[in-house]
Amino acid sequence: MTDTAFLRLRGVVKKFHSFTALHGIDLDIREGEFFTIVGPSGSGKSTMIRLLVGMDDVTEGQIHLRDERIDQMPANLRPTCMVFQSLALFPHMSVGQNIEFPLKLRKEPPAQRRERVNELLDLLHLPRSYYDKRISQCSGGERQRIALARALAFDPEILFFDEPLSALDYRLRKTLEKELKDLHHRTGKTFVYITHSLEEAMVMSDRIAIMKDGRIEQIATADEIYRRPVSRFVAEFMGEVNLFNVRCGHDGAVSGPGLSTRGDLTAEGLPAGSEALLMVRPEYVQFAAPSEQYDYILQGRVREEYILGSRIQYEIEGPQDKRITVEKLRQNRLDDAVGKQVRLGFNAEKTHLIGNG
Amino acid sequence: MPASRSTRIVLFVYGLLIIALLYLPLVSVGFASVSRARYLSFPIRKYSTKWYTSALESSTVTDLFWTSLTVAAIVTVVSVVIAFFGALAFARYNWRYRTTFQKLILLPIFFPQTVLGLALLMWFNSLGIIPTWKTAVVAHLVWIAPIATLIVAIRAYSFDPALEEAARDMGANTGTILRLITLPLLLPGLVSAGLFAFLLSWGNFPLSLFTTGADSTLPEWLYAKMVSGYSPLVPTLGIMSVAGSFVIIMVALAVAWLMRANRESKAVQN
Repeated sequence: MTDTAFLRLRGVVKKFHSFTALHGIDLDIREGEFFTIVGPSGSGKSTMIRLLVGMDDVTEGQIHLRDERIDQMPANLRPTCMVFQSLALFPHMSVGQNIEFPLKLRKEPPAQRRERVNELLDLLHLPRSYYDKRISQCSGGERQRIALARALAFDPEILFFDEPLSALDYRLRKTLEKELKDLHHRTGKTFVYITHSLEEAMVMSDRIAIMKDGRIEQIATADEIYRRPVSRFVAEFMGEVNLFNVRCGHDGAVSGPGLSTRGDLTAEGLPAGSEALLMVRPEYVQFAAPSEQYDYILQGRVREEYILGSRIQYEIEGPQDKRITVEKLRQNRLDDAVGKQVRLGFNAEKTHLIGNG
Repeated sequence: MPASRSTRIVLFVYGLLIIALLYLPLVSVGFASVSRARYLSFPIRKYSTKWYTSALESSTVTDLFWTSLTVAAIVTVVSVVIAFFGALAFARYNWRYRTTFQKLILLPIFFPQTVLGLALLMWFNSLGIIPTWKTAVVAHLVWIAPIATLIVAIRAYSFDPALEEAARDMGANTGTILRLITLPLLLPGLVSAGLFAFLLSWGNFPLSLFTTGADSTLPEWLYAKMVSGYSPLVPTLGIMSVAGSFVIIMVALAVAWLMRANRESKAVQN
């Protein structure tokens, strides 16, 4: 992976009549990385991928691939390929004919095509006998692999994915996520993936861009976005989170209603007197014994206990009806939790301050 | 839930009655065509195929047959072409006047055919065109092309627009997409539209009556003979006409069956 931008978007705007779907997107995607664009529906992520593959025209701005400007280039001339949400496998062709479709368009000789199809079937763990199978006879997971094989047969500079796993059941999705990541390693290609599922994004991606209302909110690694979100939207989008409205005092100390803080805490990087959001993830909130010391302490009562499987989630009613979520591993489960009065504690190093909360 | 014995018997009898209701009239025409007597009366005293022989020998019948066939064949080909592009405009592409187009194109189907026939005749007259079988082709098209379009549009609605986008994404230009993706996917719809077009034109009477002028199609001739100068040639030609339609349907079914069998055997071989 190199650090220079491979796919470069500058000021990309897309308007549909009076509606602006994308507001001046700037984005750099590096060669060989697995880049995921995440956002709720209507955030503009599908519009963006359609611009990148050439299904729609940009209203303003430029897209460059390496040093070539591609935003005016028709889709059939761009060296990119997309795996569609519906997969778009041709129902009137066999598995083999589907995979070799891009090769046939390039007029490669049949023997060579057949050989390449066999390689790709091997790569995606599909039996070679599938060459003559009908698409309608293949399972959902097999169809995913066929769509991938077809896109790889095209040998694109960048492979785009438009939520191809969204229609599958949970188990199969998990398997294919890992296979896709593995495939990314083995092929060394640049993957640009679009999804509304954060879990999917976190499992597979090198870097993630979070989109909201046609703008990119944050671009970073999954870990960075999870630990240090730039806004309330990103924090809440990236899973369960506790957010407290706090004020940074003139002495630099952080204070919030119902929150007891240790005296020497200071808010780094935030101006004195400003409002902020204090974020702490549920897994970092501890049930504290009366003698235990934490940077932040608050009192509450357990309202509900949810069994998530390997983890247990508690919903706690804190001061001023504030709801706090706490998660524990099953082995650290609290006995007879519901209705119990609890003392909660967490340390400053596990928190993150979001400005202008 | 499996039906009880009595339910099954009732359903069977009901089905039989429906079939009888539909086909008995046709059977009586069949009997009339093989009766030696000039007028049908039961029981038939003597069977004969002489009316079939004389039908096959008659040059009038040959002319009628060719006129009907020419009209139906041209209507079929033109309808299928119109239906293909019409269906794409109807179902696949979003354009400004699409909903208006969708409504207007269906309107001729709901017109009573006699009214449509009369209107077309008056229109041809005012244009100074003398009605022949060629004007009948135009008249048939006004009524049949929308039906064919509707049939293909149903098929076009059912296929994912992403298929064409995927082909383009992989480097296909518009012509290649049409040839390798759109046409093959619409083919079943085009075949059924073609069959419908042929059969509807072949059996059409009201439009032909108004617009063929001096020429005559089979259904027109049958009607004229019924009105004046009945002979058993009428039921004979009727049966031959039905047989012709039947053969066409059978050929179409056989072709579809062969294509499927061929595909499956290919899949089994590998």
